[in-house]
Amino acid sequence: MSDPCPGCQLDIAPAARSHGRGGRSLARKTADSIARAVTDVLQNEETAARPGLLQRLDPRVKLVTLVLFAVTASLVHSVWVLLALVGLTLLLAAASQVGVASFARKVGASAGLLALLIALPSALSLFTPGQAVVSLGPVTLTQPGLMGVATLVTRVAAAAGFALLVVWTMRWSDLLKALSAMRLPDVVVATLAMTQKQILTLLRTVEQIHLARESRTLGRGTNRENRAWVTERMAFVVRKSMKTADDVYDAMLARGFTGAMPSLVRLRLRPRDWVWAAASVALCAAVLYADRIVGPR
Amino acid sequence: MDIVAMHIPDGYLGPQTYVVFWLVMIPIWFLAARKVKKTLKTKQIPLLALGSAFAFVIMMFNVPVVGGSTGHAVGATLIAIILGPWAAVIAVSIALVIQAGLFGDGGITAIGANCFNMAVVIPFVGYYLYRLIGGDAPSSARRVISSGVAAYVAIVAGAICAGFEFGIQPYIAHTASGQALYAPYKLSVAVPAMALEHLLFFGVVEAIVTMGVVAALARTEPELLQMRPAAKPLRWLWGVVGGLILLTPIGVLAPGTAWGEWGTDQIKTRLGYVPTGFDKLGGLWKARMPDYTTPGVSDTMLGYLIAAVVGAGLCVGIAWGVGALLARRRSSAGAGPAGAVPPASASE
Repeated sequence: MSDPCPGCQLDIAPAARSHGRGGRSLARKTADSIARAVTDVLQNEETAARPGLLQRLDPRVKLVTLVLFAVTASLVHSVWVLLALVGLTLLLAAASQVGVASFARKVGASAGLLALLIALPSALSLFTPGQAVVSLGPVTLTQPGLMGVATLVTRVAAAAGFALLVVWTMRWSDLLKALSAMRLPDVVVATLAMTQKQILTLLRTVEQIHLARESRTLGRGTNRENRAWVTERMAFVVRKSMKTADDVYDAMLARGFTGAMPSLVRLRLRPRDWVWAAASVALCAAVLYADRIVGPR
Repeated sequence: MDIVAMHIPDGYLGPQTYVVFWLVMIPIWFLAARKVKKTLKTKQIPLLALGSAFAFVIMMFNVPVVGGSTGHAVGATLIAIILGPWAAVIAVSIALVIQAGLFGDGGITAIGANCFNMAVVIPFVGYYLYRLIGGDAPSSARRVISSGVAAYVAIVAGAICAGFEFGIQPYIAHTASGQALYAPYKLSVAVPAMALEHLLFFGVVEAIVTMGVVAALARTEPELLQMRPAAKPLRWLWGVVGGLILLTPIGVLAPGTAWGEWGTDQIKTRLGYVPTGFDKLGGLWKARMPDYTTPGVSDTMLGYLIAAVVGAGLCVGIAWGVGALLARRRSSAGAGPAGAVPPASASE
């Protein structure tokens, strides 16, 4: 599909802003969600370029230490220690200039709220027997049940926070550099790099397909018609993907690709990387020790 | 971004579970990379990249279902039908990693479990069921129907795996007072809940999408559905079946009765009465090994294990018999390609 506006990378924003209006068509709904996803990626690249604490670190050190924090959160059992870890994610977000309010909103809405909705019924005495805390007629919430819900929600929020810090403070290209430097096979890194580019290209194509339908359709159509249209477009995406794969491969061969992929990544650890790594390991050890003291048995 | 219902976020699985799935996935990724390299050669990078991009993008489509409701498809069976199951393992895994690493959807620790459910179970179950039902040279209608059935069963299988992973958490991580430390629902709730929502909703979406796309491709680009090489004997599957049989004692971990599989006595305890139809039909069949017990064996654990071995042996025996019968019919008809065996025992 030809691009009507070459280089207009941000013309997806109006579609993103229209989110929330009632009565959107199926095509508009899909186009909006794609626009939001692409806008999110562009915003992530922008926040990752800010001169914050985490952005200044070597990508390998940042990746390993944030994963270490996420693993530590998965090992902690105390709600209070988990709350402290949630606080740590907010502190790191502030120190990295990524916008604490939007960070908290994203973590709270996408992870915390979902966990709360899923886990809350488990506090009923039907699922978790124990000392009753709240009784509303036949509905009884128990103390171990509510503590279980609190543990899950805070753990999910902490883990999602550390994962989001990876996404918001590290450019995709830096993440690939880190993976390459950490001896991940070059074929995997090259595939990841190419996949990211092709995802954005395909998303833009799919968005344009949906916007074109929106602008050419007066009625809403029946579910049957819409399903047929959607699956036909998916088949088009399959065809386009396979054709593009052939084109990309031809281009690679034309440039002399033989299968060898020498890595050009040269990363060097600086003193602040070592300090951060040591501080992170010490902090994780302290968190696990504190959990052993105050955590539930 | 909206994600399919079986995507497990961080925090729901304990380290005893997610570490195991990482350890399971590492050799699977290694094996898949070797298989794909052998078949796709240097073309593997663009083909896998586009396959992964397609796997990602297909999840973004809103598919109308009933009334005003819409759903998203995983598309893993479709990718396995087009690229083969091993390439699908890598393509869907990369799509899941990019969802987590680029878009911030999904977690880090749970990637192993998510890849197992969506990038291994669904492609393999879907692909082999598609080959089993569709045969080696199916008509268009049969190809479409087999793709729909395969996609439906495969996503339900993936959901049951996810439900199992959720459901074992309360057994392996809880405090003395019964407080769950990870996913709070036991197997008797988690597995039926995951299975039901996929049986009733997400499975239907997956089947609609897969059938629609396969029908469109069969009409316009049938060669895309014939990219897979002819089948070869699948001996390694016997190892997998053997491993699964060895894992059957895990069933002893689950106390009580699975949700919805109650006997007459349990129905009476729960409802206070036994529905007439249930009472009338409940005794029609007298099982030889009721409730996985073995007649004459008083030890519950030993009886369960004997019942498991007998049941698994019967299933394997019947499958082997049907496969052998189909192979004999095909070789006598001379219809299959050289070296081909029945899809029930076929691989790449």
